[in-house]
Parts: sequence; structure tokens; C-alpha cells
Amino acid sequence: MNILDLLLAIPAIGFFVGLIMPRAQEQAIRLLTLVFSLIAFIVSLGLAIGFQTGQTTQQFVTNVVWIQNPEIHYHVGIDGLSLWLIILTTFLTPIAILISWKSIQKQAKEFFAFLLLLEFGLIGVFAAWDLFLFFVFWEIVLVPMYFLIGIWGHDRRIYAAVKFFLYTMAGSALMLVAIIFLYTQSGTFDYATILDQLASGRIALSHIQETLLFLAFFIAFAIKVPLFPLHTWLPDAHVEAPTAGSLMLASVMLKMGTYGLVRFCLPLFPTAARENAPWIIVLAIIGIVYGALVAMVQPNMKKLVAYSSVSHLGFVVLGIFSFTQMGLDGAVYQMLNHGISTGALFILVGFMYERRHSLAIADYGGVATVAPWLSTIFLITTLASIGLPTLNNFVGEFLVLQGVAQANFTWTVFAALGVILSACYMLWLYQRVFFGAVGEGVEHHVLDLNLREWVSIVPLIVMMVWMGIYTQTFLAHVSETNAQILNQSKMNVPLRVAIPPVGGGHLNAR
Amino acid sequence: MHKLWLIPALPFIGFLINGILGRKLSKTVINAVAVGSVVLSFLWVLQNAASCDWGANPLHAHYFTWIRSGGFNVGWDFQIDRLTVVMLLIVTGIGSLIHIYATGYMAHEEGYYRFFAYMNLFMFFMLTLVLAGNYLLLFVGWEGVGLCSYLLIGFYFVKKSATTAGNKAFIVNRIGDFGFSLAMFLIVVNFGTLDFRRVFAAAPGKPVETLTAIALLMLVGAAGKSAQIPLYVWLPDAMEGPTPVSALIHAATMVTAGVYMCSRSAVIFTHAPAAMETVAVIGLATAVFAATIGLAQYDIKKVFAYSTVSQLGYMFLGVGVGAFSAGIWHLMTHAFFKALLFLGAGSVIHACHGEQDMRHMGGLRKYAPITMWTLACASLAIAGFPGTSGFFSKDAILTAAYGYAPWMFWVGVITAGMTAFYVWRAFWMTFMGEYKGHGHPHESPLSMTGPLMVLAVLSLFGGVLFNVPKFLSGMFPLPEEVPGEAMLMGISIAAGLIGIGISYYMYVVNTELPGKVTSALGGLYTLVYNKYFVDEIYDATVVTPLVEGSKTVLWHGADQGLIDGIVNGVGTESRAIGGVLRLIQSGNIRSYATWVVLGSVAVLLVMVFGGGMR
Amino acid sequence: MPANFAPSADDYLRFLPEIILTVAGTALMVLDPLFAKRLPKMFGTLAIGAFIAAMVAACAANAVPGASFSNLLIVDGFATYFRVLVIGIGILATLSSYEYLDREKAETGEYHALLLFSVAGQCIMVSANDLIMIFIGLEISSISSYVLAGYLRDDKRNNEAALKYFLLGSFATGFLLYGMAIIYGITGTTKLDEVRLALNTPGVSMGMVAVAAGLMIVGLGFKVSGAPFQMWAPDVYQGAPAPVSAFMATAPKAAAFAIFVRIFMTCFERISNSWEPLIWIFALLSMTIGNFAALTQTNLKRMLAYSSIANAGYILVALAARSELGTSAIMFYLAAYALMNIGAFAVIIHISGKGERHLQIDDLAGLSQKQPLTAALLTVFVLSFIGVPLTGGFFGKFYIFRAALDSNLVWLAVLGLLNSAVAAYYYLRLLVVMYMHEPGEVTQELHPLTPGLMAALVLPAIGTFALGILPEAVLNFARNSSMLGR
Repeated sequence: MNILDLLLAIPAIGFFVGLIMPRAQEQAIRLLTLVFSLIAFIVSLGLAIGFQTGQTTQQFVTNVVWIQNPEIHYHVGIDGLSLWLIILTTFLTPIAILISWKSIQKQAKEFFAFLLLLEFGLIGVFAAWDLFLFFVFWEIVLVPMYFLIGIWGHDRRIYAAVKFFLYTMAGSALMLVAIIFLYTQSGTFDYATILDQLASGRIALSHIQETLLFLAFFIAFAIKVPLFPLHTWLPDAHVEAPTAGSLMLASVMLKMGTYGLVRFCLPLFPTAARENAPWIIVLAIIGIVYGALVAMVQPNMKKLVAYSSVSHLGFVVLGIFSFTQMGLDGAVYQMLNHGISTGALFILVGFMYERRHSLAIADYGGVATVAPWLSTIFLITTLASIGLPTLNNFVGEFLVLQGVAQANFTWTVFAALGVILSACYMLWLYQRVFFGAVGEGVEHHVLDLNLREWVSIVPLIVMMVWMGIYTQTFLAHVSETNAQILNQSKMNVPLRVAIPPVGGGHLNAR
Repeated sequence: MHKLWLIPALPFIGFLINGILGRKLSKTVINAVAVGSVVLSFLWVLQNAASCDWGANPLHAHYFTWIRSGGFNVGWDFQIDRLTVVMLLIVTGIGSLIHIYATGYMAHEEGYYRFFAYMNLFMFFMLTLVLAGNYLLLFVGWEGVGLCSYLLIGFYFVKKSATTAGNKAFIVNRIGDFGFSLAMFLIVVNFGTLDFRRVFAAAPGKPVETLTAIALLMLVGAAGKSAQIPLYVWLPDAMEGPTPVSALIHAATMVTAGVYMCSRSAVIFTHAPAAMETVAVIGLATAVFAATIGLAQYDIKKVFAYSTVSQLGYMFLGVGVGAFSAGIWHLMTHAFFKALLFLGAGSVIHACHGEQDMRHMGGLRKYAPITMWTLACASLAIAGFPGTSGFFSKDAILTAAYGYAPWMFWVGVITAGMTAFYVWRAFWMTFMGEYKGHGHPHESPLSMTGPLMVLAVLSLFGGVLFNVPKFLSGMFPLPEEVPGEAMLMGISIAAGLIGIGISYYMYVVNTELPGKVTSALGGLYTLVYNKYFVDEIYDATVVTPLVEGSKTVLWHGADQGLIDGIVNGVGTESRAIGGVLRLIQSGNIRSYATWVVLGSVAVLLVMVFGGGMR
Repeated sequence: MPANFAPSADDYLRFLPEIILTVAGTALMVLDPLFAKRLPKMFGTLAIGAFIAAMVAACAANAVPGASFSNLLIVDGFATYFRVLVIGIGILATLSSYEYLDREKAETGEYHALLLFSVAGQCIMVSANDLIMIFIGLEISSISSYVLAGYLRDDKRNNEAALKYFLLGSFATGFLLYGMAIIYGITGTTKLDEVRLALNTPGVSMGMVAVAAGLMIVGLGFKVSGAPFQMWAPDVYQGAPAPVSAFMATAPKAAAFAIFVRIFMTCFERISNSWEPLIWIFALLSMTIGNFAALTQTNLKRMLAYSSIANAGYILVALAARSELGTSAIMFYLAAYALMNIGAFAVIIHISGKGERHLQIDDLAGLSQKQPLTAALLTVFVLSFIGVPLTGGFFGKFYIFRAALDSNLVWLAVLGLLNSAVAAYYYLRLLVVMYMHEPGEVTQELHPLTPGLMAALVLPAIGTFALGILPEAVLNFARNSSMLGR
């Protein structure tokens, strides 16, 4: 029983406690879930503190047999890759609860309980080290999100919820086949063991087998990411979901997909990954540009942000399949960045919705006049999301593009277009919503931030700056793990050149 | 030791104070913070500049690692050498003056604190830009100043035109930055680092194609930031911002960042002749092009805006022909007189109660004498009147151009003539004749006229006082003597004087002439008057297709139509299949029996034959 | 020629469950006229008592495994597993019947007696080692189910259901009987193990054996409602009384699968190459037809009927695997399926109301707000149907497809899992209606759960989680008893 197990237990317990509480005690339930999520966050910090750098194996490992035959283990552990994703989860859950404090009145009990269940599942996904266990958590996450969208969403919530569920089911069905197949080959679900067996050639997959398995995993993850053209569930899910739902969905759940790609697709099927990289990268680049262009013409704020996610996640996939240290580091860093900045965007849009009860851009205008602080915060978030240096996204995008440039410069040229476009749609959105004359509905309804909202948004702003300026806090761990993964994937495009020494650097110095 | 970080840190603190507490602070406090922080950092620069002599090698300060990944490593590094010092002095010096000026100019504006917060933030980023010790940090400042320019152009955010201009500026700059970042990626791929010292040390050994590619991509970035063809379009619109902003950001400092970057990367450029030539040509083209537009504008700020574009063209010409120090020199003198022109224009506008159209001005010499005389100095300087600051720098560039390719010299001279013409045209229209505006014009307060006078002195004597090429000769060798230099000098002086003369004749002596000329020119005039319809062309060819295409083709077509069509289609199809299957379920027992029989026959067949075959 | 005709004590012990059930059934019949009016509830309680006793007996019998009554019956792990399963189903069915019978003002005595007989028949089926015994058990089970299907005499739907079930049922039984006859003709014996040996001896005409096997597949295919012999199922399950449908979709099906496996994994194991492709097709057809047809259903019972066809399909996948792994997967999945199915039907019984008026899916509208617990429990079963982890349904599916992949039935596994994704759609509709719609008038005037139904809901729910989280015990038992006499 180490910190990690504790971390898994807390939200689970919180979930059940929340369920057995009398539904009349709404306020108590809110507080309770908030407390549980905060404890979980504090505990998760323990992971960061206790994390040993320079280790090649997982840490905080617990490995006990769950089912004897077929041998399934409760095997959890973290490395640099999972560490920050887990902390991102625990960091955002209390915020998700805070922002839902007032806006969720109907069936509050279930809502807040589901948030904790979601947290449980997400942590599990990032911590699981047994393929079966991973799949279990992977599927568990579906359920609370399905209800969050379906019960507390907007008008077309049911369509969105079902679409979301089925899209993912279809993907995970294939993944399950692949997992079972690997089991029949290797006789174990233990990820590390399977990796060894593959590396040592004790399991020999034929070329076609490897490709099919790779695709089975890849499609499941690509749907979650979502990679163009599998993305159409996302806009609906985001627009219809309640703010907290969109937050968790965009900030953490999408990362399940990219995490899976890095964690499983690359190390398990290096050859297939390499061979399929070209078309995947093309899809990623299409996603970047396409997502941005479509975002540009959205009349609905949430939909705009949703499509921008498609664009941003394209960068992540791009980085992953560049097979370069920088690209991969950037990709993982971008996962975290996107979690912070897009999460913040959804929160802020949620704030505006609570005031104006509309997501239509046309219904706003002149917000900057009536709510200067809200506008300032939104501006900072916007700048973060369009990759302004000194804010977090820039680092990620730079590393991704730099990594890709090493692999193939042409890709960079096209991908970098996304950076221009992101400025277009975000600034245009900002202009239409915050600038100009004060609209009728805006003047009377849109007030500036209140204390609860300050508390929930400021941490994210702080993170944007921190992650933008002092990246070593996070990047160091990630880099280590990625180096290892690239190792396993048996392909790593290094910096081709020796770094030159310090020289005069003047015309006359030559 | 030298605490270089203090230089940008001071304005940043100012930004934080005014930005966070500003709304609660009194104007005097805000002024004290805003102006004080910039002046202090100016003094700190002076102290640094005086404290040590700058040898060949820059002084480098590493603070902490920013990004480390794989073999790549970039830190928050500052470096300072003579080039940096020149830039620092210009930025903080002019910056201080303009801040002081702004306290007067903005006195009655809404969001006073916001204005100064942005200004200080701009100083911070601009100083980061020039102090940066590697390209990535330079890019930080580069994007940062872009942000501030966006914020300040859109300062009157209730005005749609203002915010649109802001967006335009940011996005066009993003297009430039696209090039710049690609240049950085290429550098890392080929050098493995972004650190100036390492890159420049290794550059001479690299293949020419690589260096050319890098240099050209940098040029794209520079063209964006420094408003060169084809990315100059944002600068004229940027005049939507308050006048001090136009003076500080869109004349004196930010827009010259491109020139600075090219000079900073001189090692790369000098090893890529093709790129150098491109720079020179683009610079020259921009100079002429913008000058012609300047001839026909009536908005006083627009005139100076196009003149800025044109003058930046000169600087690029200088860089392109290898006279980096001359380019920097012109950068400095231009900072003096163009800042003065804008501040003067601001004072004029202030005098005429916000009127910007020169046709509704005139006769201000009676009401605003200080403004007039200071503006006169600036106009002389930009016209390259002998002895004024502009004269030296412009002459240096033109001479170098002659040495590079004589035709460039001649084009430059013609441009000089046009420059002299339109600047003085503006001067006459504003101050001569009778006042045609509304209200009662008045001279500006000391807080505004003070900086004007200081700048006037600098515009006149700046060239003599600060001989930049000599100061930078350690970095950029002085150009070798060109035969007949005196003659060239004479020609360019003449061009300037002719320009002034013509404008005097047209707008003071014979004031009917301009009307006749315009009607005589007809189509050509409308073309120039409408800035060659470049904006319209861009809208029609790029913006509209992009937006409309995304809406109809991508969103409605591909996303909702095709992809979701398929997705939902699968759903409806499955249900359709289900419907068909229900039909089998007639509920009629005889049909069921039939099915059973058929099924069993099939089974037996499979079993006997199918099975038998195995 | 067996040594002595007098059966040993062990023989009786091995047959004890059937004895108990039959005696109890008869007893209820006798008692019915005496107590029917005064304490109708008593019969149910007695039945449950009998079931429990039988279950204990079944476990006890497992302690002395082996053949009995000169090899007519065989008690092995396989038999015991299914005995316990069908008896357990009997208990749950009885529990869910209390309220129903009371509501419909139906005689209780005969009803419970018939249940007991039916289960007795199934116990005989699963432990039979002789084609004749199998047939007898099947008939006992079937005939009592026919009657149960039409139990509410005045209800037209009941009668129609009963008639269809009877006609098609006997039709199919005919096929089964032909198959058995042919086997007897070829081998001169009806004992499964002897048949197996006989078929292994050279010189047997495989063609005829194939025909026999084919005929049996038809008969059993009908009993397990596997496509293309599934048509009766929707009509019958929809028409029959809800508790009976719940029972029929589980117990007889489980027993039928048991003999399916026993016969085909012993007698016809040698010619498995020839029947495997057939089962492959059956499996795919059942899954596809079941799931796709269910997509458009609006009637809860009918939807579950189609889902039962689809589930038969999943089980056939495991049968197609032709391995002990497959057998154990079948055993496990049948248990998981029985639990979720009865649980789901219990909810239907609860909401349908007198005369089963409310059977539309939309009648569940807003259940979560009126009766959160009921809704939550049904959610558990639905998630198990969908195959969400930590439920028996998921583990069962996982185990089945693992068996399939183990036998290299990759494509069948892929198609099967994609099928389950399709299935998710119509199962989700239940959740949508319960949680995302506002309460309708049905849920408005819904009275609270009665103890019997509560038990019939909570026990399966617990079981579902048990099978999903700690399947260890069941799995091991199934695995250890999956190597039928080989």
C-alpha cells in the first residue's frame, strides 16, 4: 500500500461515500467531494516529491495478483510519463468540482460522485501496468463521462453522449481483441513482461500480425485523441457537456489516447509504428490545419474551442510519430499544456455561459468593458493557447515542430501553419466577444469574476506561466522516460550535428 | 555583476504594479511608476554602457535553463555587446521621452493605467529582444512586442476598426514569425543550438545553401516585423493606436527589430550573398513603393506611417548591401526624427481636437509654434538636409548602395526626393495657410513639448554626436571608400532640396496646382491614393476564400456532411437492417416452420458435404 | 450387462437433487387445493426451500462423482455446475414471481410446481450420460415450460406464446430425436461415452454421423434460440408471463447448452472439423441478427428476447472454439448472463404493472429520479449486458473471446466484439430513458419494490459484481470441470 494505491483509493471511497449520502444533503455532498479531491491532489503531490529521477523502472509499484487464471494483476506504477498526467488529473478535479458548485443543482449527488469516479478511472488508466487492468480503467472512465454529458448536458446531450460512448466502444472493442491476442501469444497481461518477450524475440509476431495489432491499438487511441477524421464526436460532446465535463474531457480524457500511443503503440510495435508513421503524420497535419480552419468559422464558443483541441492534439500526434526526443518531449509536454490552457478556456466559457446563458459568439461583445478581469484572464488563456512565448503551449509546440524538423522539414512547414491559424481564430473570437460596444444582454448579466471563480481559475494561470518559463520542473522527468521509450521503439532521430563551441561570433572573428 | 536582467526587469515591475493595482492608483502614482521604471532602466543602461569597454566578444550572462531536451538546450541567457548597447540606448532613451510625452497626451483618456501598463510591458519585451543571448529568447521578445503592439493598437477596444487593426497586425506578424521560427528550426537542425555565440562561430563553415535558406526565412520574419513588402500592410492600419504608441512602437523601436535581427545575424547573411541581394532589393522596393503612397495621403499619421515603411526600406537596403552599421545608424537617427514626427503629429492632432485630416488643418504656426519648429527640425532631418542626423545615415546607406550596385543608389535618391516632398507637403499643409479645422487650436503642455524639443536637438545633431559605424567598427568593418563619394553626397542632398522646393511651390506658393496635378494624373492618382488596392487584393485572394472555404467546404461539407454523414449513416443503416430482420419475424407459425425446415436442410447439406470435404 | 441391479446408496445421492425437486413439485400439487385460498404465498416459500435443499444435495452429490444407475447419469463437475446454476435460476425466478402472481391473481401452487418440475428436467439433462436420459430431461423441462408460457389462461398473449412454443418446440425435438435414433442405429448404444468410443472405431460411416450431428444441431440450435432457429424466441418471450420469460431465457437455455457441449465435445468431438464451421456461422448469425433486430425494438421484453439471441451467439462463439477453455467460457458466461437477464426481467416485472400494461422502453422514463435504487440496479445489469468492466458480462465476454482467439478464431472474435459495440446502442437506450428523460406517468405512480423483487434484483446485482471483480472461484470450478470425460 503506497501513495499511488492510496491515491487510487481516495476518489473511489469518495465516490461510494457520496452515493450513500442522503440526496437532500447537497451542500454536504459538494463539500465532501471537494475535500476528497483536494486530499487526492495533496497525496498526488507526494508522487512528485518522492519521484526518483534517473530510474529506468516504474516507481510506487504495487503488483498483486487479482485473478489467478487467466493471470491478471493489479499492477500499478508510474514513470515520468504518467506522473504529470496523474497530477494533472488530481489538479483539475477539485477545480471541476468548484466550477460546478452553483451551476449543478439537478441531481447534484450523482454529479459530484461521478466526478470522483471519473478521477479514479483516469488515475487508473495512467497508472495501470497490466494490459487487462488498463483496459478495465479505460472502460470505467466511459461510464461517468457518459452520464455527465447525458444527464447534465445541454439540448442535444443525449445524441452527444451516445455518440461519444459508441465511438469509444467501437475503438476499444478492437483494442480488447488485440490485448487478448497478445495474451494468447505471451501468456501474460503484464506489460513489462510482454515488452521483454517481444524484445527478446520470445514472442515473434509476423509482420502482418504486428501491423494489425498496431492498428487495433492505434484506432482505439486515435478515436480518443481524436485524430482526424475520427474527431466528429468531440465537438458534439464538448458543446453538450456541462463545463466540468468539457474540462475533464478536453484536459485529461483526450490525453488517454495520446498517452496510449506513447505508452503502448511505440514500444510494443516499433516496426509497425515506424512503417505507418508517414500517413499518421499526414493525418495529424491535416488535423492541425483542418481543425484550425473549422474552428475559425464556428459560431459557438465551445465548438470553436473543441475544434481548436483537434488542432492542438494534432501537434501531439505529430510529435509522437516524429520519433525524435524533442518531438516526443514536446508531445508529452503539449498534453499537459493543452490540459491546462484548453481546460482554462472551457472554464472561462463556462463562466460566461452561467452569466449570459448563451454560447453563441454573436450574443456577446464588449465584455471587456463590463468585466475587465474576466477579459484579462481570458486574454492570458487565449495567448497561452496560441503559443505565445513565456506561456506553456509555446514550449510544447516549439519542441514538437523542432523534433519534426529533424525528421522531415517539409512536415514542419505545413504543421507550423497551424500556429498562424490559431492566432487567427482565437484573436477573432476574442475581438468579437470582448471588444466592441457593450451588447444589451451583456451589460446587465455579465459580471466580473467572483471569489469562487478566482480560486478556480488562478491556479491554471499560474501553471501556464510556470510551465512556460521554468520547464525543467516537468520536462526533466518526461524526457527521461521518453528517451527510454524511443529506445524501445528502436528508432530515434538524433540531432545530426555536434554542438559547436562558443566563439567570437563577429564578422571580424572569422 | 552587470545585473543585465535589471534592465528589462524594471519596466516589468512597472507593468505589474500598474497592471494589477492600476485601477486603484492615482494618475501621479501611475506616472511615477511608468515613467520612473523606464527612466531607471535607461540610467542602468547608461551605467552599463559607461562601466566597461566593449571588446570583440559579447558579455554573456546565463540565468537558468529554459528548455532541455535530447541534445538541445536553451537557457534564459542575456548577452550585451556594442550593437546591443546602441539598441538599448535607443529603446530606453526614446522610450523614456515618449513615456513622459504620453503622460500629457493620454491625460484625459479612459484606461490610463492600462495604457501605461502595456507600454511598460512593451519596454520589457523590447529590451528582452535586444538583450537576448539566443534566438529563442530573441523570439520571446519578438512575439512579446507583437503582443503589446496588438494590445496598444486595439487600445480603444470599443472601436471595431482599432481592434481589427490590432488583429491584422498580430496575424500578419504571425506570418512573419512563421518564417522566423522555420529559420530557427533549420538552425537547430544544422547547428544543434540557438546560442548566438555558438551559431555564429560555426556559421562560416556551413554550406551556402543552408545559410541562404536560413537567412531568407529570417528575412520573412523581419519583413513581418519591420513592415517590408509583402507584409507591410499592417503598419498603416496600426495608426489606430494612440499617437505615442505609433511613435514608440511603430516608428522608433519595434518595427526596427527586423533590422536589428538581420544585423545580429550578420555572420549568416554575409555568407549567403543571394539572401543579401534579396534583402537589398526588398528594402529598396519597399522604400519606393511606400514613398509613392505617402505622396497622396491626407491623414497626417498615415503619411508618416508610409514614410516609416519607406525609411525601414532604407535600413534593409543598408543591411542588404552589407553596410550593417549604416543600417543601424539610420535606425537610430530614424528613431529620433520619426519619433519626433509622430509626437509632433500627436501634438498637432491634440491641438486640432483629434482631427487627423491635413485638409482640415493649416495655419497652426500661430497657435503651436514649438510644435512647428520641432517638426521642422524632424522634417529637415528626414529630408537629409546637410548636417542633420538623417543626412549622415542616409548618405552612408546610399554610398554603400552605390558601391554594391549603382542603380540602387539612383532609386534610393529618387525615393529620398519623394520623401522630402511628402514630409514637407505635410508640414506646409499643417502649419501654413489658414486654419480650416473646427474649434480653437492650442499649443500642447510642457510634458509634451519638452520631449519634442529634446528630440529636435537629437534629430539635428544626433548624426554628429553619435557616429554609430565607428562605434560598431569592431563588429562591422567600415565600408571601403567609394570613388566620387562627395559627388554622390551632393546628388542626394540635391534630391532632398528639390523635393522640399517642389512641395513648397505646390502647397504654399501655388495652392491650386495639387488639384490640377491630381486630375491630370487621374487613374494613376486614384491607384496611389488607394494604396494600390493591396488590402483589397489580399482580402479577395486570401482572407475571403479562406474563411468561406472553411465554412462551406470544410465545416458544412467535410465535417458535418461527409464524416458525420458516414457516422450517422452507419447508425441509421444498422437500424434499417434491424427493420428488415424484423420482417422475418412475421409472427406466423407456418412461416417459422418453413424457416426451420430450410435451415435444417442447409445444415444437413453443410454437415454432409461441407463436412465430408474436410 | 451390469453386475447388480440394486443401485448403491451413492447412486441415490447422485440423483438426490432431481428426487427432491420432483417430490417437492408433486407435494405442491397435492397441497394446492388445500391452501391455495388461505396462504398463496406459502407455495413459493416451499418451492424456495425445495430449491435450496436440491442445491445442497447437488453440492453433496459432487462429493461422490461418477456414473450411476448403470451409467445413465453421471455426476461430474460439469453436471454439478449446471445443476447449481439452474437451481439458482429457479430460486431467482420464484422470488421474482411472488409479486407477479399476486398481482395477476393467479394460482400459485401449480405455478411453482411446474417451475420445480422444469428445473428437475434440466437437472436430469445436465447430468445425463445417455441420449435417452437427455431426451427425457429435455421433455420434462420443455413440457413444463410450455405450460408455464401459457400460465395465465385468460391472457391471449400467453396462449399464443404457449402454442408457438409448443408446436415449434416439439418440431425441433423431433429433429433431436431423429439424430439420436441415427446415432443408435450406427453405434448400437445411447450412452455418450460408448457412442464416443464407437465413433472412434474405424469403418463407421461418417456421412451418417454427420447427418445425425446435423439433426441434433438443429434441435439444440432451436432450444438455445440460436439463429437461424431463433424466430420463436421473440414472440414467446414477449407473450409469456414476464417471470416465465426470465426463466425460459436462462434455465432451459443453460441446460440446452450443457447438453450441446456434452454431446458435441464428447460424441462428436472427433468430427468437430465438420461441425465447427456450422457453429461459426450460427454464432455470427445469432449475434448479428439478435443485435441488429434489437436496435429497433421498443418493447422491453422483445428487446431482451433479441438480446438473448445475440447472447446465444456469443456462447456459440465459445463452442466454436472447441476447447476446454471454450467450455469453461460457456459455463461462466451462462452464469453471468442468467444473473443479468433475470435482474433485468425483475425490473420489467416491477414496472409493467397489472396485466403487463407498461412494457415500452419509454415506460422507464425518469426512473432514476423516482426510484434511484431500482434504476441503479438495472444500470448494473445493463452495463453487464454492454460488457463494461467489473461486471460479470464483461468478464464473460472477455473469457469467450479469449477462448476464440486461443483457437485462432480471430475474425469471429473481431466481429463478435464489434457486435457488442452495436449492442451497446440499444442497451444504452435504457440508461438514456431512465436517467436523461423526465419521469413519465408510469414511473410517477410506481409503488416501491416488494421484498421478493428486491431480492430478485439485489442478489443478481451482487452476483454480477462478484463475477466481474472476483470471478476466481467460479472460473476455477468451470475450468476444472470442463474436460468432459476425456
